[in-house]
Amino acid sequence: MTRRTYLIKRVLQAVFSLWIIATILFFLFRMGLPDPTSVLITEGLNAEQRAAVRAQFGLEDPLWRQYVLFLTNAVQGEFGTSFSYRAPVSEIVWERLGNTMVLMLAAIVLAYAIGVPLGAWLSWRRGSSTDTVGIFVGLMFRSAPMFWTGMIAILIFGVGLSMFPTSGMRTLPYDADGFLDKIFTLDFLWHAILPVLIVALYYLGSPMLIMRNTMLEVYGEDFIEMARAKGLPERDILYKHAARNALLPVVTQLAVTIGLAAGGQVVVEVVFSWPGLGREILNAVRTSDFPLAQASFLIMAAFVISLNLLVDILYTTLDPRVSFR
Amino acid sequence: MTLPPILRAAMGPLRLMVQDRLAVIGMCVLGVIIAMALFAPLLSPHDPRHINEIEDGSVLVRGSDAWELRESLGPLALNDAAHHAGQSVIVGRSGTVWTRAAAGDWTRAEVETEADLNAVDLNADGRAIAVGGLGTILLGNGTGWQVVPAPEADLRSVIWLDAVTALIVGANEEIWLLDATAGNIVEIDSPVGRGFPLNAVALDADGTALIVGERGLAIRYDPDTGTAALERIGSSRDLNHIHIAPGGAALVVGERGTLLRRDSADGAWVTDPAPDTRALRAGWIGDDGRAVAAGRNGIIMEWDGTAWQIVPTESERHLRALLVVGDDWLALGSDRFVTRLSPPSREHWFGTDHLGRDLFSQNVHGSQIALLVGFLGATLVVLIGTNVGLIAGYYRGRTETILMRTVDVMYGIPFEPFALILVLLFQPSLTIVILAVSLLTWRTVARLIRSQVLSLRERPFVKAARVAGASDLRIMYLHIFPNVLPLVFLELAIIVGVSIIAEATLSFLGLGPPQSISWGGILHDARLSGAWRTAWWWNLPPGILIMTTVLSVFFISRSLEVVANPRLRARQ
Repeated sequence: MTRRTYLIKRVLQAVFSLWIIATILFFLFRMGLPDPTSVLITEGLNAEQRAAVRAQFGLEDPLWRQYVLFLTNAVQGEFGTSFSYRAPVSEIVWERLGNTMVLMLAAIVLAYAIGVPLGAWLSWRRGSSTDTVGIFVGLMFRSAPMFWTGMIAILIFGVGLSMFPTSGMRTLPYDADGFLDKIFTLDFLWHAILPVLIVALYYLGSPMLIMRNTMLEVYGEDFIEMARAKGLPERDILYKHAARNALLPVVTQLAVTIGLAAGGQVVVEVVFSWPGLGREILNAVRTSDFPLAQASFLIMAAFVISLNLLVDILYTTLDPRVSFR
Repeated sequence: MTLPPILRAAMGPLRLMVQDRLAVIGMCVLGVIIAMALFAPLLSPHDPRHINEIEDGSVLVRGSDAWELRESLGPLALNDAAHHAGQSVIVGRSGTVWTRAAAGDWTRAEVETEADLNAVDLNADGRAIAVGGLGTILLGNGTGWQVVPAPEADLRSVIWLDAVTALIVGANEEIWLLDATAGNIVEIDSPVGRGFPLNAVALDADGTALIVGERGLAIRYDPDTGTAALERIGSSRDLNHIHIAPGGAALVVGERGTLLRRDSADGAWVTDPAPDTRALRAGWIGDDGRAVAAGRNGIIMEWDGTAWQIVPTESERHLRALLVVGDDWLALGSDRFVTRLSPPSREHWFGTDHLGRDLFSQNVHGSQIALLVGFLGATLVVLIGTNVGLIAGYYRGRTETILMRTVDVMYGIPFEPFALILVLLFQPSLTIVILAVSLLTWRTVARLIRSQVLSLRERPFVKAARVAGASDLRIMYLHIFPNVLPLVFLELAIIVGVSIIAEATLSFLGLGPPQSISWGGILHDARLSGAWRTAWWWNLPPGILIMTTVLSVFFISRSLEVVANPRLRARQ
């Protein structure tokens, strides 16, 4: 199979996955909420307005017509109006998705930037008490639920020491023209430190442990013996020869992690009142804002799938040994 | 002894676990937590949902910026206090009497009654009189207390009219005149006579006594004529307490934040707007314009010259009396109050939450849901994942394509948001939580098992079995399955941890099974109440328990990694 047919096949697969997810989502919603507009009555919508909303989602039509309408709308990026925000859903969702991605990517990058060298170093000190402590701490942060570490971090650094703000992305009120203007400020950095750290600490364990384990495997390989025989300094062997060859499983793990990044960490966004997509889904769930919940989830899934696809394609470029199956 | 191959295969991982020190520690910790879940009702000293209340002889002292809690005077509620010339007396429930000489410590006085004492007064000679339920009248002279025989009645308040005569009022509109030397009681006719409870009495500046009671009732007793007459002070609420300063300033307090104030002996009664509408049980006013009122839930209001201001208090105890001695201001209570947000104590090892529920018991009970969802979810996940992996890896071809494409689709679904949507659509319940946890997680297991099966199915023993005529099912479950069992165990252990965190996450977001107690749910309550920023005993234990449980499971799984990854084994 050539690279091109592989790519085409992979893209088709992604589109297929997305279609299946959209279908599942559609039927889940019709099963769980036969009449999503019923929640609107409590908000004082009259019969006429309600009928308009019903028509917008085609709720009077037979199920298959609704399904077709849903798919056409989704393809055109038309997700209707949010019940609670009274604004087009797509605008809200794209902004929130950006906020989630900033938080997640910063955290993942930080986790891998620290975790990989740390893992290499631990493998070098294998068997020592440093090694044990390192493994223990890594697993500990992996085991502690992030909402709890987040709360504790807020308690200590936000409330106790008053070093960091405890909620939001920016000090309110603020003006920003567009997304980049919003995030390239010191104020944003100030707000981002705690949540990014909490997510990074959670992710830290896996690159660290994978790196450590692969390094231990690599130490047994012949080329390391060779390097030793040549009399190279241990540090050079560690970082120049062993580490490079141990990176592959870490990169695989990184790919999986980034692939799921758009899913975000709902709890971290909740604890730090980070206006991300996960928190938006939770709010939509709580307020029964079904257009928003449906669209947020679909866009999130689309993003996860595209990221997976992108990472896969990059990966084949990075490691030629990966077969185009 | 020969074991069936499947059992023999299962023994391998177990032996490995026992060899690894960390895994043994993990198993011990997990064992403790499982025991905790099994014996939760026995281990928890309280019902985790019970709202705990406690009675206490609480003393609050006015500090520079708040009323501070002092050491309690016994376990029984304090109802009233009186002070004269350096000598102070406090009375309370079940015959509680505390006395204090000038600047000394409070000492408990011996009295021959178990009845609840409601009121106390001291006269100029230092003679004390206390009254209470069951017609209890006690006379004290500084050395001892004598019970004065009296008809049975719920006596609410008492005041000395002169050196020997005391006026006592009761819950059935009793107005009694007691001659303390002779010990005889004269009943005074009430001008109302409908059995209204009279709650308090105070001596006015002109030597008459003013009695207040329910429904805004006010009666003035004139000792010169020996008659009682109705008086209007402008309220129809239940009045609980009256205090009149020597110069004639007066304060009446009552239910729903009722505050009636009179500036001087001949001034008019004014109804002051109250900053809180809970019941006020005690008031004190001075001729210099200072005034304070105290009531239920630790409410204390001070008069700042123009308006009543709520002042911060250290607790939510129900205050019943005020004792003002010079600059020393004391508020006394407390009936049974809900022990909200109390820090760890001997009674409540992990403290209590905002509703006064015992947190230790909640944490112990929380292990049940965590382990139930953890193990049930993980079993379901491994069951689905292993079978999908086995079938896909063994049959290959179209079956494999369909199954593995399904797994690919699953990888496109973000976990937490999917669980949220499930709960939105199908009301939170234990089933939905377990489903939400397991519906997506099996994707990893299926992929891992399949890749192992792919290599196993080409091994000679599988080919031999096939040649011998074994059915597909037999090969899959009797020949291949035992070989992937270590991997299955490893995944099971990892997913137990993942499931526990997932359940905690859902519960933390308020989407867990309703009416159940879980670690995530405790943290949800803490966050929702807003008190988590101060109540560390509320936040710490559930998180530590989740972490310990998951960590112990991870330790166990690490020992199994050796089985799953033979290259690690070679190194040992």
